[in-house]
Amino acid sequence: MEESQNPVYKNKDYGKYREMLYSSYTGGKFEKAVGFHGEADRVILEQAWDLFKERIEDARQRVLAGKASPVVFYMEKNLLDPLGLSMVAGISLLRVKWHFRPNAFKRLSNNTLGKYAKAFNISIEQLKKVE
Amino acid sequence: MAKIEFEHRQAGHCESGVTSNLLHHHKFDISEPMAFGIGAGLFFSYLPFLKMQHAPTTSFRVWPGQVFERATKQLGIKTQVHKFRNPKDSMDKLNEVLDQGIPVGLQVGTFHLPFFPPEYRMHYNMHNMVVYGHENGIYFISDTLMDRLVEITYDDLVRVRYAKGVFAPEGRMYYPTYVPKNIDLRPGIIKGIRKTANNMVGVPFPLIGVKGIRYLAKSMRKWEKKLGPEKASYYLGQVLRMEEEVGTAGAGFRFIYGAFLNEAADVLKQEWLRELSFEMGENANKWREFSYKGSRNCKKRGKPEESYDYLADMLLVCADNEQKIFKKLATIKG
Repeated sequence: MEESQNPVYKNKDYGKYREMLYSSYTGGKFEKAVGFHGEADRVILEQAWDLFKERIEDARQRVLAGKASPVVFYMEKNLLDPLGLSMVAGISLLRVKWHFRPNAFKRLSNNTLGKYAKAFNISIEQLKKVE
Repeated sequence: MAKIEFEHRQAGHCESGVTSNLLHHHKFDISEPMAFGIGAGLFFSYLPFLKMQHAPTTSFRVWPGQVFERATKQLGIKTQVHKFRNPKDSMDKLNEVLDQGIPVGLQVGTFHLPFFPPEYRMHYNMHNMVVYGHENGIYFISDTLMDRLVEITYDDLVRVRYAKGVFAPEGRMYYPTYVPKNIDLRPGIIKGIRKTANNMVGVPFPLIGVKGIRYLAKSMRKWEKKLGPEKASYYLGQVLRMEEEVGTAGAGFRFIYGAFLNEAADVLKQEWLRELSFEMGENANKWREFSYKGSRNCKKRGKPEESYDYLADMLLVCADNEQKIFKKLATIKG
């Protein structure tokens, strides 16, 4: 397939990923072309990833300060929210929120820890510590 | 079992691309916009109560699975859809169907897809792709978003097919079983257009169709005051991501729909459809302008260059355009 003639999609700085886009010119003809990301796409994607990184860092600080349990950190790291985590791990939303407290986390059974570990795709030992 | 002969064609939208590619394999040529239009894929809904990546969901398309189902039903093509609770059963069934030489469409979640570009790996469970063969636990994939063919291991495939969360795929797999020899596109096109027009202007509910766009514009004006500059900018970014990023072929499917109307004018021999397709193209340009202006707002976080009032006005223009176009389209006759 040919490279796009449309100048907007000629930005090759961002990623190696090319997507197909349909575009209309003033002549009213519809064309499809394969192109790279433009500036606007880069900005809005970066915005999302900046927020995720911020949230992960924030969660890490709170866990290290003893204000939250490691579940919070790994939840943010997997880009989940409490509802999503409860669906992935198969634990009810109220219990998930309860386990965000460090004291509640310390008392968890191996069975429940295993559910979280499986959801985050890590081992139970990894789940217990955050560095 | 080796690979099945399968032609990979890149496409703008994953599901219509998969539909078009699968039917092409069964010797029935249908372009991607045509599959999208007959399947009545164009839509708009704003769901402030359903949060995705910490911001309200805006959808520019119908629910997953509907484009394939509707398009094949309207064209008289028989299909088979499977869902399984047990991952092992579903993988066994997948192997069995592949061994018969039939490529299979799958609904998957994107977060664990190994070949996906990292900047796109968010929790999004409505992605579609085709499997066209397997060998020693390696599956061969044709993903319409990628410009090349890719491979995936057994374990990874189970993981993405059983991704959890909103709209969980639950191992959904689908393939056409019988394709008639001579297919008349005309009734399908007319039904598809009517359905889309009804979705956009006929639903008496404020969050759907043209009314949904107006509702979004109305709430956008309040964002800055209600949420503070940073969060408001993030909410706007979410709308733009839904419009431009998640496999929409640009401008929230408006370009692809314009291309469909253009093709429909050829098939139905009705010239007024071509004029409407150009209007749709203009409208799509408006949407794209909206996303460029909006992205400038997102860039200067906290200090919006383009005010929300200005952007909301742009949305209202789009809503008016679309109302005009779909009111006309609703009167289509065969």
